[in-house]
Amino acid sequence: MVAFWKIRRSQGFRAALLTLPPALFIIFFMILPLITIIVYSFWRTENYTMIPDWNLNNYATVLGQKTYLTFLWRSFIMAVCVTAISLVYSYPVAYFIAKRGGRYRLILVLLTAAPFFTGIILRVTAMQQILGPIGLINMAMMHLGLEPIKIFMYTPFATGIGLVYLWIPFMVLAIYLSLLNFNFDLLEVANVNGAKPWRAFLEITWPLNWMGTAIGIALVFIPTFAAAITPRFLGGVNGALFGNILEHEFGATGTWALGSAMGVVMFLICLLVIVAVWKTINLKRSGYTGSLIGEQE
Amino acid sequence: MKNRKPATCKSKETILEKPVTRRSFLKKSATGAAAAFGASCFGPFVRTSKAAKLEIRWLGWEHYNVKKLTAAFEKQYNCKVSAGFFDGNSECYNKLRAGGVKDFDMFMADGFWPRLYAKQGLSQPTDYTKLSNLKYVFPDFLPPNYMLLQEEKGSNMVAAPNCWGGYGFTVNMDKIAPEDSESVYLLFNEKYKGHLSTSARFEENIALAGILVCYRMGTMNKPRPDGKPFNPYVLTDAELAECKKLLIKQKGLLVTRWNDEDTLERLLRAQVVWASPEWSGIYRRIRFDQLDGKTKLNMKHVLKPKEGGLGWVDTWGITSGVKDSEKLELCHKWINFRLKPENMVIIAKEIGWAPTVDVRKMLPKRYVETLFLNQTSAIKGLYQFDAPSSPEKWERIWSEVEAA
Repeated sequence: MVAFWKIRRSQGFRAALLTLPPALFIIFFMILPLITIIVYSFWRTENYTMIPDWNLNNYATVLGQKTYLTFLWRSFIMAVCVTAISLVYSYPVAYFIAKRGGRYRLILVLLTAAPFFTGIILRVTAMQQILGPIGLINMAMMHLGLEPIKIFMYTPFATGIGLVYLWIPFMVLAIYLSLLNFNFDLLEVANVNGAKPWRAFLEITWPLNWMGTAIGIALVFIPTFAAAITPRFLGGVNGALFGNILEHEFGATGTWALGSAMGVVMFLICLLVIVAVWKTINLKRSGYTGSLIGEQE
Repeated sequence: MKNRKPATCKSKETILEKPVTRRSFLKKSATGAAAAFGASCFGPFVRTSKAAKLEIRWLGWEHYNVKKLTAAFEKQYNCKVSAGFFDGNSECYNKLRAGGVKDFDMFMADGFWPRLYAKQGLSQPTDYTKLSNLKYVFPDFLPPNYMLLQEEKGSNMVAAPNCWGGYGFTVNMDKIAPEDSESVYLLFNEKYKGHLSTSARFEENIALAGILVCYRMGTMNKPRPDGKPFNPYVLTDAELAECKKLLIKQKGLLVTRWNDEDTLERLLRAQVVWASPEWSGIYRRIRFDQLDGKTKLNMKHVLKPKEGGLGWVDTWGITSGVKDSEKLELCHKWINFRLKPENMVIIAKEIGWAPTVDVRKMLPKRYVETLFLNQTSAIKGLYQFDAPSSPEKWERIWSEVEAA
């Protein structure tokens, strides 16, 4: 009995007690559905009915047929472009807020997340009002007697703009949180030693904040890769992405087995991206950045 | 003399002052847990008068969830009505198949779908003798004129009619030549490149292309693969291949495939889109504005193109999950209530769908005209919404069109 109480009071037991609820949540609401999806991906669908007829046909379709590879490729390219644009845009914003924001830093960061105060459909619809054929930009163009800008009207380009707008706050936030721990004095040291600003950025700021940047990349790449709503409203007839077709399989067409295989493929690609990004992180250099270097010295 | 507090007060204080030990805490927690467990076990059998209120849950299109109708029904029958929504028949079908018959007592479906539900055991017969308001329904929407409400090989009624309509074309007559407006080919006509649109619904896109393809191939009146009369949702592989070619070619002509009516309405009003299939709601709103002098747009709605068109009669059905006779009775009362002409007028005016009930005398002329209530016999010539003969093949065709 005494031993029992000792165990109960031990650090390990308390830690287990604390981690049990989230662990159970993850098991029931993430791992089990994922296993279900994996199982379904080896079955087949016939007239909206799942038939447990184990086979690899769904994977052969997704990975072997040009149609589905086209969607995969479109989504991958879209995710790469949106992530790159978001990164280029977000870094200076996060840098400015972290360095010059002063006591308004928190408010400024929260302001970047202002679009999140509304739902995604509303935000995408708002984008439609700006980019569409009768959107703000094109109406202004026509008012001035100019031709409307066709690239804004229901095209993959419009989808790209919409996705950048949607996910930028994630990137800004991730980089900002990393820069918050960054010792800006290091840049002064570099400057004193004759390093130009761009060199100081490339050799100090960028590598020492790579962890936050990498998190931002993952946070933007993954939802863009899986995007369905934005391309549905902004993409037009040539803008269907992998996420749209995946959504279609589970909704209108009821071809769940093929949809499951598409889901598994999407999950594996996202996992690969995360592993690839994680491999680039040098924990000795990034993480707590400047202050860590200082401690080591 | 010492002050004496009343005994009751003292005992209360003693209780409050008593420290909470681990043992007493566990004891109280265990008692509470046991009480909660007992309540959850026996609760359903020991109902209060409030809990005894019957509840019906329906699964349908969100626009039919008219709060004032629900409130009136709840008040009249002292019950509760709740609703769940879907976007299309296949979604409803998937939900009901995935155990939804236990979650929902009633469903809405159109075209051939109610028959499919009955065939699959997802629904139970609707007792027409309990629906006194059926006498107000146009004969065009009841057997023997409209047979999809009855089992294919039986006499049971699978559902009761609600509203009806087509999936015709709303056409800007200032931009489209009259001779082009009455054909399905309008949606594939290069003359109107960059000014056409269709919805994102894959079934209806393929079905409309199927009507045109079969009309051109001359296969409409030839023996069909299922041995039944022509149905654009049952196409041969050769016809599907032609549909695919046509739909890929059509992509270059479209402004977009609309997902919501608001988008299409804006595009039609701005004259960016000149023609698109729709359920006639947008046409009605624009026509009303024209009658009120708010717009000069000259729109027409083609209910049935010359090659044939699509249509629907949506219905109320009862799921096979309803076992309780009292609840079954209530479901019938709900259907009957919705069929009441006064309630159908609300649907016509506020939702904008054409009732299957004859409410022409209760509606202003403009509604009668734009809801096509003098043309109810047109339903006979419209191919009814249905499930694709092979969802897998249709999915493949649509994906190939999207990827092209």
